[in-house]
Amino acid sequence: MLKQTGPKNIMIMKQKLLEIRDRALSELDSIRDLDALEKFRIEYLGKKGQITSLMKQLGSLTKEERPAFGKLANEVKNGIINSLEKAIGELKGKEADEKELIDITLPGRAPLRGHLHPIDQVNSEICSIFVKMGYSIVKGPNIELDYYNFEALNFPKDHPARDMQDTFYVSENVVLRTHTSPMQIRTMEKQKPPVSIIAPGKVYRSDSDVSHTPMFHQVEGLLVDRGVTFGDLKGTLTSFIHHFFGSDVKLRFRPSFFPFTEPSAEVDIQCVICRGKGCRTCSNSGWQEILGSGMVDPGVYGFVGYDPEVYSGFAFGIGIERMAMHKYGINDIQLLFKNDMRFLKQF
Amino acid sequence: MKLSLNWLKEYVDIDITPQELSHILTMAGLEVEELERLGDISDRVIVAKVLSVEKHPKADRLSLCNVDTGNSRVQVVCGASNVKAGDLVPMALPGAELKGGITIKESKLRGEFSGGMLCAEDELGLTDDHKGVMILPEGLVIGDRLSDALNLEDWSFDISLTPNRPDCASVIGIAREVSALTGKKMRLPEVQYREEGAPINEVTSIDVNDPKGCPRYAAGMIQNVTLKTSPFWMRYRLHVSGTRSKNNIVDISNYVLLETGQPLHTFDYEQLKENRIVVARANEGEKFHTLDGQERTLNKEHLMICDGEKPVGVAGIMGGLNSEISDNTTNILIESAYFNPVTIRRGAKSLGISSEASYRFERGVDIEGVIFALKRALSLSLELAGGVVNKGIIDVYPEKYSSPEINLRIGKTNDFLGASIARQEMISFLEALQMNVTEKDADTLKVIPPTYRVDIEREIDLVEEVVRMYGYDNIAETYPAIRPSEKKELPVLGLHDSVCDILAGTGFSEIITFSFVSPESADQLDAGENSTIRSFVNLMNPLTTEQSVMRTSLLPGLFTSVKENIAHGEPNLKLFEWGKIYIRDDSAELPIEKVTLTGVMCGNYSPKKWHNETRLVDFFDIKGVVEVLLDSLGLAGYTFERNALSEVYDKNVFSNFCLGDIIIGSMGRIRNDVLEKNEIKTNSLCAFEIDVENLLKAIALNRFKFRAFGKYPAVFRDISIIVDKKVESMPINSIIQRVGSDLVESVELFSVFEGEKLGSGKKALSYRICYRSNEGTLDGELINRLHEKVIDSIREETGGTLSEG
Repeated sequence: MLKQTGPKNIMIMKQKLLEIRDRALSELDSIRDLDALEKFRIEYLGKKGQITSLMKQLGSLTKEERPAFGKLANEVKNGIINSLEKAIGELKGKEADEKELIDITLPGRAPLRGHLHPIDQVNSEICSIFVKMGYSIVKGPNIELDYYNFEALNFPKDHPARDMQDTFYVSENVVLRTHTSPMQIRTMEKQKPPVSIIAPGKVYRSDSDVSHTPMFHQVEGLLVDRGVTFGDLKGTLTSFIHHFFGSDVKLRFRPSFFPFTEPSAEVDIQCVICRGKGCRTCSNSGWQEILGSGMVDPGVYGFVGYDPEVYSGFAFGIGIERMAMHKYGINDIQLLFKNDMRFLKQF
Repeated sequence: MKLSLNWLKEYVDIDITPQELSHILTMAGLEVEELERLGDISDRVIVAKVLSVEKHPKADRLSLCNVDTGNSRVQVVCGASNVKAGDLVPMALPGAELKGGITIKESKLRGEFSGGMLCAEDELGLTDDHKGVMILPEGLVIGDRLSDALNLEDWSFDISLTPNRPDCASVIGIAREVSALTGKKMRLPEVQYREEGAPINEVTSIDVNDPKGCPRYAAGMIQNVTLKTSPFWMRYRLHVSGTRSKNNIVDISNYVLLETGQPLHTFDYEQLKENRIVVARANEGEKFHTLDGQERTLNKEHLMICDGEKPVGVAGIMGGLNSEISDNTTNILIESAYFNPVTIRRGAKSLGISSEASYRFERGVDIEGVIFALKRALSLSLELAGGVVNKGIIDVYPEKYSSPEINLRIGKTNDFLGASIARQEMISFLEALQMNVTEKDADTLKVIPPTYRVDIEREIDLVEEVVRMYGYDNIAETYPAIRPSEKKELPVLGLHDSVCDILAGTGFSEIITFSFVSPESADQLDAGENSTIRSFVNLMNPLTTEQSVMRTSLLPGLFTSVKENIAHGEPNLKLFEWGKIYIRDDSAELPIEKVTLTGVMCGNYSPKKWHNETRLVDFFDIKGVVEVLLDSLGLAGYTFERNALSEVYDKNVFSNFCLGDIIIGSMGRIRNDVLEKNEIKTNSLCAFEIDVENLLKAIALNRFKFRAFGKYPAVFRDISIIVDKKVESMPINSIIQRVGSDLVESVELFSVFEGEKLGSGKKALSYRICYRSNEGTLDGELINRLHEKVIDSIREETGGTLSEG
């Protein structure tokens, strides 16, 4: 082959090089998979590729022309390599993304979760409010002596006040406790003032209908010290109800009667269903009874050897079922003891 | 206590709305449970006059009435037979809506035009009387709205009375409260009548043989009465208060009871042998027929009203059939008495009777109100039944009652209430309640309550009256400083909270079941003759047999819950209950109460999901739960032994878990026959039962302590041993620990394999042992030798062989 030399030759070679570059880059733009990219690489950059082939013609240039052409060829080659690598990177990333595309709406592999009974949850919440106030928790028997359940709480035998609570008897002197109030006596018998206790637990009354179950739960409270006032009772229970139901709940203290407190007060909260307007649930009164309370009757101190001239105090009994029903909007007390998973699962 | 507002207004002026009155009463301790509108009768019901009555030509039972409606004359077909010309009657004009939603229309009845309806009392919703068309009193204006003419617009107040307020169990009693609360004056009904009969002492006598049981007994008499239906106003008020009308004489005693709170009893004088009354205790075992027709067996506790021969009534509780007012009665003796509350209470309880009379006597009536009520009844009897009242009354009242004198300390009262109520204000509160108040000294008032306030005996009772009148709302809320006292936190409380959280974390849901169960539950648990499961505490008065004994195990409640949930389509359950069981203990005052924790799991271990297959629960699932529970509670070193506290488990699939000598509980798979007895339809049910007291003991023994871990590298070695199937895995762990001593950091059983390759009755156990020293990097040779020794010991002690490969 006759060696072509001179400016004409280098011009043609440069022209070719630039054509290869333009073709390669535009071709690269339309490549969508890795196999095609590999073919592309072989086509342009491979041992027999277009750039390599052109480089082999370097010998046809003059000594002076070679470095400049070599430089240009390297630039073109590197440019293509860079673009190729970029394209490879993009394609690989895209493929990886597609591979990991998951249905994020599938349910997670959650460990099975259990549910605590709403009565237990409400009980814990009530107790923790009073524990924070400084009360401590005591527990006592469910099967109780008549003495603690009635006698020492100022319910003498043959007194109509006993009719207030339908009682289950185990024997003449042993009953299923009708309230948690026996714990007042059991505590004061053992401890001198100051006394600040709450006593949660099960209680029983022989009463079963739409709105009553023969077993239910109460939290008893008792505070006895020097100078405890009726105002303190109001403050304590108001604060408790605001903690439990929120501070926008209206409440009222209404005179009532319990043999072991005087003066006694029922505490009503504004009906959560009708917000005080009056509805079926609250018998059109706009209010719902939530707990009973009162100042400890001096007669009770007589049974435990406290001096009513020195000490005073208050007691209260909170019905947990009622609190739970108000809190969660449960309209049927029976549901609380059916233990139906469709119910329990919601708590 | 249910009463009509119009009745109440007879004794006290009320110029506030029924709703306001209801609020005032409620906030004074007389809770109005229900406020109901009465006499809400259509405007289209008017007073009409019957001009003539003729037979319906085509129907024997119907008549045609020509009626004056005030501005027209209309023919009305009427089915009642009591209507006669000249009667004033209520007439529903076309368009009137009656009770039960019936709308009256002009119509034809058997061919005759009817321009409305003549109404009976029940059709108007006034009483339950349906004897005939209501005949109105003379003098009403024809054409007037019935509700205006009879003043029927009214409200009924249903007041829930607390046992301390018997004085409010009457219309006058409520009126007194209203008067005190609103400042309006009281008016008592006038009692005036002529006594034209023979002096009462000449026709009867009263002997009270038991003045303790009957501190006061008064009687009056009226002769030649005419028994008939009471006037509408009286029947209406009785109806509103829930009392059935009978005849004028019986109605009067009920009316006066509701009006004054004093129970009365009316005897047929002619039926009283020797025409006299004796108050005495009954003879033991004596039989007596009470008014309700029942035969009662009496005892010496029962106070009886007798005639010259025999009992004629149970004092203060219920009259007798033998002296009842009958249609032939002409001469009556009215009793008004005060009986001892405890005597009446005991008598009523033992007879199982609760009457309007016994309710009031038990709580205490006004001993000074006895005569007023008697005279009120005599006066009403004369007015409504005619006859002649005998001269005078008999009043056996040997020891006059005097109200207590009580000191009320003003300063003490304010201190106790946390208030500052002025002395004068306190006085006016008490005086409004008809108390006699005098000032003893600067700080003390001497107070005498009225005789009807039997609940006021002590200073605290007066404090209550003061704050009730002052208004609970007006006491400011304050916050007591709670002084620390000797406090011992009950460890069981914290444990309960932890256990609930741990179990909920493992997928268990908490249930709460009744503490009483059926005695059959012991059979359903297949409990042995001497099992404590059978040591039931029995209730004397259960609601049902299913709830007649206290539970001795939590399993019956859980089983019931499982059964019901399966029926609801929830076959895969994990449930637990924390609660007491009760064991009879004849040697102690009270039964044993034991806190117990019991859990069950049944069906599939976890429901089938997109990512997992499912399988039935088995022993190792329940064991895993127990292990997580005990580990989370910080217990270590607990062991399992092939034994169980109860009999419900499958013979080979149960275990106790213990710490040293303390048996914490049992677990296992429940026997199929037990499941069948409890009607539980499931393929597998496993349970654990924990004695909480023992769990607490174990926790107390087992204080958690941190163990340092080695910083030098560990060496892991696996071994696989083929042993007899009966060989248990735990002893092999122990061998490894013992032989490897301090250098064994942990041993993990990672495979249990049984298969044909091994031969029948064999299994392969594979362990990974982690060797590590706290002192330095382990020497490979040393570990190899130790590991060999471990293998040799296992082989020797279990008869096992090393598995190859």
